[in-house]
Amino acid sequence: MGKEGYQVGNLIFVILMLFIVSVFLISIPYETKWLNNIPLVKQPRFWPALCLAGMTLFSLLYSVQVWHSYKIQADQFQSELEESLSWVRPIEFVFYFILYVWLVPLIGYLLSTLLFFSLLTIRSGYRTLSMLAISLATGFGIVVVFKSLLKVKIVSGAIYDHLPDGLSTFFMIYF
Amino acid sequence: MDLILASFEIFLRWDVWVAILIGSVGGVIIGAIPGVGPAVAIAILLPATYSMDPIIGITVLLGIYGSAMYGGAIPAILINTPGTPVNALTTYDGYSMTKDNKARRAITLAYWSSFTGGIFSIIALILMTSLIAKVAPLFGSRDILMAALLGLVLVVISHRKQTLIAGMLVFFGMFISTIGMENVKYTKRFTFDQSWLLSGVDLITILLGLFAVSQAFILLIGDDKRVSMPTLKGKKLEGLFDLIKYKTVALISAGMGVIMGIIPGVGEFLAQFFSYNIARGISKKPERFGKGAPEGIIAAEAANNAVPAAAMIPLLALGIPGEALTAMMLSVFYVHSIIPGPDLFANHIDFVYGLYESLFLINIIVMIFLLFATKSLLKIIQIPQRFLGITILGLSFVGVYTLRNSMIDCIMCAVFGVLGYILKRLDLPIVPIILGMVLGSIMEQKFRASQARIDTLFDYINRPISGIIFAIIVLTLLIHFWAIWRQYKRQN
Repeated sequence: MGKEGYQVGNLIFVILMLFIVSVFLISIPYETKWLNNIPLVKQPRFWPALCLAGMTLFSLLYSVQVWHSYKIQADQFQSELEESLSWVRPIEFVFYFILYVWLVPLIGYLLSTLLFFSLLTIRSGYRTLSMLAISLATGFGIVVVFKSLLKVKIVSGAIYDHLPDGLSTFFMIYF
Repeated sequence: MDLILASFEIFLRWDVWVAILIGSVGGVIIGAIPGVGPAVAIAILLPATYSMDPIIGITVLLGIYGSAMYGGAIPAILINTPGTPVNALTTYDGYSMTKDNKARRAITLAYWSSFTGGIFSIIALILMTSLIAKVAPLFGSRDILMAALLGLVLVVISHRKQTLIAGMLVFFGMFISTIGMENVKYTKRFTFDQSWLLSGVDLITILLGLFAVSQAFILLIGDDKRVSMPTLKGKKLEGLFDLIKYKTVALISAGMGVIMGIIPGVGEFLAQFFSYNIARGISKKPERFGKGAPEGIIAAEAANNAVPAAAMIPLLALGIPGEALTAMMLSVFYVHSIIPGPDLFANHIDFVYGLYESLFLINIIVMIFLLFATKSLLKIIQIPQRFLGITILGLSFVGVYTLRNSMIDCIMCAVFGVLGYILKRLDLPIVPIILGMVLGSIMEQKFRASQARIDTLFDYINRPISGIIFAIIVLTLLIHFWAIWRQYKRQN
């Protein structure tokens, strides 16, 4: 609940949470083991069941609180739906992110980062050459700092295999 | 004393100095950019420190942790937008002073207040360490279990008007920590026959999703805001004179920050809240608060900057984090094979002193940096929001992909990014999930470890320490319910 009264979207959120909790509760017998001749508190099932019991209790209490404020605040089912639809807006960026992750082992960290930064810059509405240059420089800087200098573990791109031997090794190590 | 001197040895290394410099200056810059904050930065950089020498990795992240709030005061005062969430209270009086053409005075006052809070808490902790070293080994499994429970209770009830959802999210975090192969009977729990879930859900993946990726989504979907910066006129030491004038407020606020920092689950917000109210209570002109009172800035900044060092106490002594940033620092220690807990104080006290001394140096470096570089930092605040979103998303990739080069980790991170985005849109708290995960895991371990000595439920609280902590839990809950009841009666 928002700090100042009812926040649009809470009703849908609490319904979703109740649904998720119910799915987990139903799954308890299948997804945890009950071992014979072992006391309840030592059962592997005990702790997850305790967590789910707590989740259920607080979800129910919260749904009562939400429903109570919802009824007081007026007819706003339309705005509830609009708010919940706005929750899927990040999905587009999730897609770009996953595409980026998928591309790294294929075309390498450097190329995929430059592609990711330039495409997202254009997508975000920056159309000037200077902004594109800043974006590419930022992407390049991140690759140099993390891969070339800090040597973080990022798989090298399959594309590097097609480069001449010396260059291939260089790119595999640094980019 | 010998131990304190011996711990200075690490400062003979040039790479430690470079780490302190990068961490502290980087922390200020990150704190000064609204929409980034230390949680995002630590979550992103944590995996990058895996390959570093432990002391270097820890020092860089400690620098960010200890210095971000200094930077966060700059946009709070100049453009009424806190750089980090804990600088929100600074906007009340800071921005009012900016509107009265006293921006430089407000900013330098915030710096000196933060510096006072930081140094005060470090000195207090160094003095308290010998006592903590004696008390910490007395904590057994049941005592740590109760301390973790106290942390969770405080996390929930400190979310005023959001306690029910905070409770639900704490249990959600605890539930996530149970997923995977449990390590006593070696049975699978909620793996849904997926082999990638056998090792459980990685805390860093969740942290990155909830803090960094969700913030990137918010910035990418939002609009760029044009901000006009006020000009800074005046002397660098202007705020210092105000601080000297209101030294009592500074010391009380710093003390409040230390006390609140030590209590798990409380953190900067309540420390500031109490300090601000005390400062208003003892002020001769309480009506000025919220309209440009220097004491307001002192109370907020001294208190919030005293918390990071103090919050290291339950973390280092018991392995119990009190808020999201210390939960991240716990991961930092684990990654670098340093296990916080009673043994750390008993066997590696020089390491603990080394951390305090690093924090001390970080505060000094940050102060010098800020006195000379504030004008340059103003340009950083003006970075377009959506571009910042692209950069955070790009950096989040480094953070999550370097863990295991796993597509599944990235998908999981993105899913929690969407969850974080929804929670932030609904103004719901994220921190309870993280603390539920960390403290829930500790509680289950300690609960199982203490089973051998337990016959009845009373055995959990029949030790002096666990009994006292349990009494504090009961008392805290009673006060909480009494406050709710009083509010209910007042409304009806």
